[in-house]
Amino acid sequence: MKLLLAAILLSISTLPIVAQQKTPPPPGPARPLNLPKFTEKKLANGLTVILAPLPNVPKVSAILTFTSATNGTDRTNHPGIAQIAAGLVNEGTDTRTSKQIKEELRSIGGTLGLGSDPDQTTMTATALSEFSSRLFELMSDVTQHASFPETELKLAQENTIQQIRAGRANPGFLVNERFQKAVFGDHPYGFVVPDEKSISTLTRDDLKSFVTKYYIPNAAHLIVVGDIEPDKTLAEIEKAFGSWKSGTVPADENPPLPVRDKRQIYFVNRPGSVQSAIYIGNVSIPRSHADYFAIRTADTIYGSSFYSRLTRNIRESKGYTYSPFSSSNTQAKTGSFLAGAFVRNEVTGPTLLEILYELDRMRVLPVSDEELNAAKEYSTGNFSVELASQLGLAGRINTIYTYHLNKSFIDDFRPKIEALTAADIQKAAAKYFDTYHAAIVIVGDWEKVKDQVTPFGDVTMYDAQGNVVK
Amino acid sequence: MQRLVMKLLVLALTMTLGLSSLQAKPVNVPVVYYKLPNGLKVVISEDHIAPVVTVGVYYNVGFRVEPKGRTGFAHLFEHMMFQGSANVKKFEHAKYVEANGGSTNGHTDFDYTNYYETLPSNRLEMALWLEADRMRSLDISEENLKNQQNVVSEEVRVNVLNQPYQLFEWIELWKNAFTNWNNSHNGYGELDEINAATIEDVRSFFKTYYAPNNAVLTIVGDVDSAEVKKMIEKHFGTLTAQPAPPKADLTEPAQTKEKRVSQPDKLANLPALATGYHIPAQSSPDFPAMALLVQILQGDDSSRWYQRLVKEKELTLDLTGGLNYFGNEFDYTGPMIMTTRTTYKPGHTVDEVLKEMDAVTAELVAKGITDKELADAKVRYKSNFYSQLESSFGKAHLLSVLALFRDDPNQINSLLTPFENVTAAQVKAAAAKYLVASNRTVIERVPEAKSQSGQ
Repeated sequence: MKLLLAAILLSISTLPIVAQQKTPPPPGPARPLNLPKFTEKKLANGLTVILAPLPNVPKVSAILTFTSATNGTDRTNHPGIAQIAAGLVNEGTDTRTSKQIKEELRSIGGTLGLGSDPDQTTMTATALSEFSSRLFELMSDVTQHASFPETELKLAQENTIQQIRAGRANPGFLVNERFQKAVFGDHPYGFVVPDEKSISTLTRDDLKSFVTKYYIPNAAHLIVVGDIEPDKTLAEIEKAFGSWKSGTVPADENPPLPVRDKRQIYFVNRPGSVQSAIYIGNVSIPRSHADYFAIRTADTIYGSSFYSRLTRNIRESKGYTYSPFSSSNTQAKTGSFLAGAFVRNEVTGPTLLEILYELDRMRVLPVSDEELNAAKEYSTGNFSVELASQLGLAGRINTIYTYHLNKSFIDDFRPKIEALTAADIQKAAAKYFDTYHAAIVIVGDWEKVKDQVTPFGDVTMYDAQGNVVK
Repeated sequence: MQRLVMKLLVLALTMTLGLSSLQAKPVNVPVVYYKLPNGLKVVISEDHIAPVVTVGVYYNVGFRVEPKGRTGFAHLFEHMMFQGSANVKKFEHAKYVEANGGSTNGHTDFDYTNYYETLPSNRLEMALWLEADRMRSLDISEENLKNQQNVVSEEVRVNVLNQPYQLFEWIELWKNAFTNWNNSHNGYGELDEINAATIEDVRSFFKTYYAPNNAVLTIVGDVDSAEVKKMIEKHFGTLTAQPAPPKADLTEPAQTKEKRVSQPDKLANLPALATGYHIPAQSSPDFPAMALLVQILQGDDSSRWYQRLVKEKELTLDLTGGLNYFGNEFDYTGPMIMTTRTTYKPGHTVDEVLKEMDAVTAELVAKGITDKELADAKVRYKSNFYSQLESSFGKAHLLSVLALFRDDPNQINSLLTPFENVTAAQVKAAAAKYLVASNRTVIERVPEAKSQSGQ
């Protein structure tokens, strides 16, 4: 921060100061970081329990993760079963109806929701801390005793089909779906939503056996953060989850990724669009990879911070778009890097040009010291903010366990970021910002923008349902 | 919004008091409150749980008071606040904040516009310097205005014009439910009016509304109040007050009959419905009961409308809405409608959905609510309130609007009390009084004929 240290400090005075200070005040002395600590215990059934006190408000936040129930699990026989199961386990258990579950949550000031992704199914739950034991009991009940009532299953099937139809009207849904399929192909990471037939043929028995087999304590971790007393909390957890039966952890599946030998455009035609939704990217690395901190920081400089190169270029200089961005999504087995923007039809071609130019610039030229230092401060400062919220901290701890990171990740974060050099950033960009093999996904009105798109590569055309069209 | 999607804090916050638990942990937010001689209201609240601080500057101007012929102007102006000031070049506000480990944004709402930074607490003074510089000396150029008109036009396209439903549950509902232009117009803005704004409009808006005596400065976090006071004096003390802005007329005649509107939707695949009921003013004795009524009807998945429409009758896919479309019970001042939005299944009609909503209401009016339902709604309300207090930004937001609209941020420590005291009879009475057809506006969105294909 040479720039900031050069600031002229005006004296604090009661005399009127006529002009505003011209340069930014320097930082005050650094405050203690107070990095949160967590403790880990294992229950007899294999459940890993992680506790981290954070008494900022009288609430408690929990994440229970099933690492064997992923979007890819059992996808050959039952595509989408992890997602449907996640949506249904809190719609009825052996002893509670759906409504009783929702009412119990209301009376403890609680929330409980599940979601699945390529690496895990997570149950995220919160409540007033005085009701923590009731929250754990409810989490345990839906984990072990989901009953999948026929009426709830039928309703979920129908509503999921309708929701996906509604989603296909949304350019954000379409561009993401096509991007995941373009870069991950048939790898489980390329699975986004099931087709209607797969949804409608799922049975109660399929779902029952799925959760029995894959929601198992020896492939799960429970993170509890908040206004807690660890000994008392652990006792409550043991009482709620102690009888949960362990199972057999299935073999991990990690088939090869598609190899892209050239840049390719995937165009989803959406007639009537007044904007083109653009994603450009490719596969990258898993979270545990040694390049993680470098690609994360390259992403910050390129497009994920507000004062990023992409924002300065296509928003603040050219006015093409409101929301340019980039995103480094590193997960358990692999990841992706992507840049994107939603732009008016008339500037679709110019936007592609600038996104690719800025990617290439990261590959070819080193970032400046000023940019690198700013990115480091940005990452470490915002990390502190993230860790100050219960779900922020719980989510961060969850990545440590799901992605098999070093347990000292939180303590190591700052030194790892601070050690990066401009050469590290350029090397990571050269590997992962590869414009020559990139997938370019566009959702828009083909007739309006085709002449701007075709110069950038071969085009495969899709309709909103995901079918290839000629 | 400077970045990302306009924050649709659709799930209106609902706060409450469980009787048993209130005594256990009362809300106790430390508050230092004073005014500078130039009229700037200052709120400081220490919180040492993490080495971070939030700085918020809230101006007493929202999109209700933007000029006629200039819809979307208050929000466009918010963008101009990031375009540079005497000592900070265009967009360098973001650079300074991020290079100091923080994040920054702004938001334009019905009755306020805010700007905020969250950053490591030892960088507080830099944030104060940035905010003071733009309050004192916003730098407005033709080129930057044109640039941000383009950016905001794209924001409207991405969030409204290129989306199915086009935020009809806000923009179209407000246009139809209100008659006073200040309340009814499209606050996101019509593209031609956004692009018609001139540099003179920007200068005059700045002079009128962006003065210290029309603002609140709030600091929440790991700081020392005495030191903060000195920094504030240094950076904001020499700003000069401006004449008080004109008071806009926000009065709204009582609605006397139901309004029904049907609109075609070019981009949607499924039909949707939104309703808006005028609610009592915040100062009305009916207000706390109304807030709990909203909670009981549509606050979560246990709520009566959700259970009836989504679960029992299987008519609709979702149910969202709340007491204040963008925020909470405290961060607005003008007239408000309770909104409800639902996407329903093809083959059903808007009348079927309304009939079920009305049946739920009629049942509530006839039989009231149970004691347990009331107690649980209060627990939910309290829990949501605590969630607001969890982050330094959440606390800063509440303190700021309490200072801005009530001149009393200390109310943060007693905000729950009126909601705690609500009785079942009051909830029932509020339903009978406000949830009547003559007090509502209904809009349906009908997908234009096209392939209703799933595959």
